[in-house]
Amino acid sequence: MNSPRRCDGVSRRDLIRIGGLSALGLGLGGLFRLRNASAAGSPLETKAKSCILIWLDGGPSHLETFDPKPDAPEEVRGPLETIATNVAGVRIGECFERTSQVMDKLAIVRSMTSPLGEHNFGTHYLMTGYKPSPALEYPTFGATVTQVRNQAGVLPPHIAVPTFSGNVTGNGFLPSATAPFSVGGNPDRPDFKVRDLDFYRGLDLTRLDRRSQIVRALNEFGRTQDAAAAPSDPDLERAYNLIASADAKNAFKLSEEPSVVRDRYGRGGGSSIGQSCLLARRLVERGVPFVTVNSTGWDAHQNIIQLQKRYPTDRNAHLPSLDRALSSLVEDLSDRRILEETLVVVMGEFGRTPKINSAGGRDHWPNVFSVVLAGGGVRAGQVVGSSDTLGELPKDNPVTPSDLAATIYTLLGIDPGSELHTSDGRPVRVVPDGATKISALIG
Amino acid sequence: MKILLKTLAVVATLASSSLADDESSRVDFQNDLVPVFTKHGCNAGACHGAAIGRGGFKLSLYGGDPAADYEAIVRRARGRRVNLARPNESLIVLKPAEYVEHGGGTVFDYDGQSARLLIDWIRQGARDDTIRRLNRVEVTPVRHVAESPGESVPLQAVAYYSDGSKRDVTQWTIFAAEDASAVEIDSESATSTIIRRGRHIVVARYLSEVVPIEMIVPLTASEVDLTANSRNNFIDDEILKSLAVLGLEPSPTTVDAAFLRRVSLDLTGRLPSAARVKVFLADVMPGKRKALVDELIRSEEFSEYWTFQFAKLLRIRPQRDDGQGALTYHRWLASQIRDNVNYKELARSLIMATGDSHTSGPPNFYRTVAGPREQAEFMSELFMGSRLRCANCHNHPLDRWTQNDYHGLAAIFAKIERGRIVSEKPSGRTIHPRTLEPAIQRIPGERFLANDTDNSRKQLADWLTETSNPYFAKAIVNRLWKRMMGRGLVEPVDDFRDTNPATHPALLDKLATDFIENGYSLRHSLRVIATSDAYARSANAIEQNKDDDRFYAHAIRRPLEPEVLADAISDVVGIADKYGEEPDGTRAIALVNPKTPSRTLDILGRCGRDESCEGAPGAVSGLSQKLHLLNGPLLNARITAEGSRLKRLGDAGKQPAAIIDEFYMVALGRHPTIQERNYWKRQLETVDKKEAFLEDFVWGLLTSREFVTNH
Repeated sequence: MNSPRRCDGVSRRDLIRIGGLSALGLGLGGLFRLRNASAAGSPLETKAKSCILIWLDGGPSHLETFDPKPDAPEEVRGPLETIATNVAGVRIGECFERTSQVMDKLAIVRSMTSPLGEHNFGTHYLMTGYKPSPALEYPTFGATVTQVRNQAGVLPPHIAVPTFSGNVTGNGFLPSATAPFSVGGNPDRPDFKVRDLDFYRGLDLTRLDRRSQIVRALNEFGRTQDAAAAPSDPDLERAYNLIASADAKNAFKLSEEPSVVRDRYGRGGGSSIGQSCLLARRLVERGVPFVTVNSTGWDAHQNIIQLQKRYPTDRNAHLPSLDRALSSLVEDLSDRRILEETLVVVMGEFGRTPKINSAGGRDHWPNVFSVVLAGGGVRAGQVVGSSDTLGELPKDNPVTPSDLAATIYTLLGIDPGSELHTSDGRPVRVVPDGATKISALIG
Repeated sequence: MKILLKTLAVVATLASSSLADDESSRVDFQNDLVPVFTKHGCNAGACHGAAIGRGGFKLSLYGGDPAADYEAIVRRARGRRVNLARPNESLIVLKPAEYVEHGGGTVFDYDGQSARLLIDWIRQGARDDTIRRLNRVEVTPVRHVAESPGESVPLQAVAYYSDGSKRDVTQWTIFAAEDASAVEIDSESATSTIIRRGRHIVVARYLSEVVPIEMIVPLTASEVDLTANSRNNFIDDEILKSLAVLGLEPSPTTVDAAFLRRVSLDLTGRLPSAARVKVFLADVMPGKRKALVDELIRSEEFSEYWTFQFAKLLRIRPQRDDGQGALTYHRWLASQIRDNVNYKELARSLIMATGDSHTSGPPNFYRTVAGPREQAEFMSELFMGSRLRCANCHNHPLDRWTQNDYHGLAAIFAKIERGRIVSEKPSGRTIHPRTLEPAIQRIPGERFLANDTDNSRKQLADWLTETSNPYFAKAIVNRLWKRMMGRGLVEPVDDFRDTNPATHPALLDKLATDFIENGYSLRHSLRVIATSDAYARSANAIEQNKDDDRFYAHAIRRPLEPEVLADAISDVVGIADKYGEEPDGTRAIALVNPKTPSRTLDILGRCGRDESCEGAPGAVSGLSQKLHLLNGPLLNARITAEGSRLKRLGDAGKQPAAIIDEFYMVALGRHPTIQERNYWKRQLETVDKKEAFLEDFVWGLLTSREFVTNH
């Protein structure tokens, strides 16, 4: 069950949002005064220019995906078999036929561990590297990257396909301009397009330009009275710039992709994960630094077998859809020679209970789970860490979500020890103190 | 067998121990050792306090269940953890001191006080009986006002026990700053250092007791004297008191036009009409603001708007395909609000409801959430402003709620048949996850109810609504305060707990008392707030208070709620929006079904009421919203539609300048300033197509910050 509230008293609803501005109810932030928060230190020399996060919302089972336990008792092993991969000694879930053939381009971390077994908490922890705190909502990777890179561009620097997780705001304490832009709609549909990019009938760019100016004038009149007011409406300006650029709008046109490519990524399954990954590739190709592909429906409390097929001959259940999408994405990026500069991360908020429950499903299990990384300079073709024989706890090399965050940021050229600033100027480290990057993955 | 061995060992130890059993030096497991485990983090969620423990050793989270901890230490692992014969070789000492390999590393020194306490306790026989019970912990200071950042404040905690004894437990108390970058804690010396200006909370935790400490550094270095400031009622006394402490100069009282717009939106969810604005501005009577508040509170629009507010609180929505219940419920609520229901009676009718949910409103209260546990969470958030939900799985470390409270309250609600007909179900049970037995009915935080109690819901309602109940009145006045002032005194409004104190505790008390003394009247409390000077303050910050976001030195600007904004847009453009199959002209706030199809409400970010709507987040990012405003039909299709205000004014031959003037009145509730008038005049002179310019002007007005916020 998704829930917007948290035991420690903080949630995204504590965020006050007015127009293009946001301020958290913390300390005494200047509510309308937005300082340009920026990270200290210069970017590190790394390969990854962009990142595609394939978010498996709800928490994917580690046992049916990247950490199967073929030798465990049946109630742990589950109904699915395992297959070998093109890396000797590494076996993964049987649904990953095509992924098994690109294993040499992937790295699996099997010893992820977190104490947070609730969707909200887990999402926050995995997507920000910080455990949720009542005092501060932390930014997700994409928001931090947007903030630090401060890349000028018409395409939004942080995009969610088709929508972002409902469990976090995305930007946390960073300006709302760093929040993900959701393309919306269903990329699987033949008529998919991003809403509201084309002119309303009778309007043109000159008119929209004048409208923006009018809003600016009105806001400026109000601002002269208020010592705490913000100068402009950045969201409006971004929206205008996007509409004004035909090039930028082209990036969203899946219809420009050959049918054979679209089929390869897969259509019609895993909450449109295939076409979403394809769109993500189009976006990173055009320089978008961070794209989150959000695949919902992994919260498999019942009938785990349905992840493989929901009815006889079903090819579009979640696992086969993920298989097509992930393997195609990695091959495609590799063929286009941009895999090295594109970090791909596959994860959800936690794993699932090793023992199958009475409903044939698995419940939340944060104690150990797996994530997969590819490209972006990741040392691939390996498994890092392991879980114990029943998939209950890490056996060696435990990796916390904070450690993973340190790794991801390092790969993206952001020093995990550098600082961001809240709207009232408070410095906050990019990842918590004490987090260590997974050295086996880097270099 | 084990017990026998242990008894023998105790006898042996007693005989040989030099400590003998001197009561004063006796180490008490519950009072002396559990805090040691907590202080060192042994029983934290990340270590042995995890639901499955760690390394085969499980402690209750933050020592919430000392009996289970005793069992784990003394009896589990075949008793290997304590060595009665050689106390200083016990695993419970060797492991954390890392004389034996310990997954958690070195937690304390073998020669330190923690180890000594453990060894003494084992030497004394590792007993579990306790001589004294902890009554309370006194923390000093509980409030400290420092002059400037950087000041260090020593902290102290003293425990008072049932046998009359007391003890300094500073060393075993955990002091944690809610915001670690605002207050630094040195746990060795128990000193706190305030780093940033403002008001910060440090939480002291010892055993089950939690005490919040308020640490204040005034926001400005200058002193402010507010004794001469005007004050209209008790609200102003309290607000000014805190502003003086914090060194915050209040903004001046807002102008009439801004007051009219603000109070109309707050009390009726509507913009004042242009005619209303003119009359109000022209009125020279000194008591006109008060008269306005009274008039608004008596209006039909007030009832309609507050029905909407309470429909959100009660999460009124059709259940699956059953729309009838929601309709009946909504109608019932509307009549309650219209008749100025005593809020206590409203709560009682909901809690004690039975009957047909299609013909009677209150039974729908039991059809709102899935089951007894969810009902317990819903009820406590709604009427107590408290979140019991964390106590589902464990005793809440930062709150007073226990699993017994949670499941005991759920047990009361388990005795309800929650179909279309809501009725008593005496056989209803809910299982307590710790005992795996049916949970015993319980008034949360108070008392268990006998199993054969047949009026437990009445007892619950009686307890909840008696004047001494610490939650009920405060929870609702805090919600009313937030609606009017933009921020709860306790925030979030459904998270009352000792560790989340009110910004103005005395004010909250006074508001609650005043509410009770005035017949639990919602209208009364809203009137008291609306007529305070604090409410009437300008939303424009001044240099001396621009950093304030919670002490009401200036009014808080807040976005209009999605439904209110949708209605305001309709009112300004003069074309109603269409909501699903609802009749033309239906207002967004009047929708019974919060999911009535509407792209407008989706874009503006409405709350579907499946979960609590407290400050529901906007559903869409700012960029998506702006794209839609620019290119979507929400504004574009209506500004120039047949019959729209702009069209009518144009058809009537009004001059562009006059049209702009009228839109200012309708949308912003004021005339344009001279400066603004001149600006638009100049703009109009430069364009050929005046209609198109006016269209763009109206579009801009509806997107401007002044329009989309209440201020």
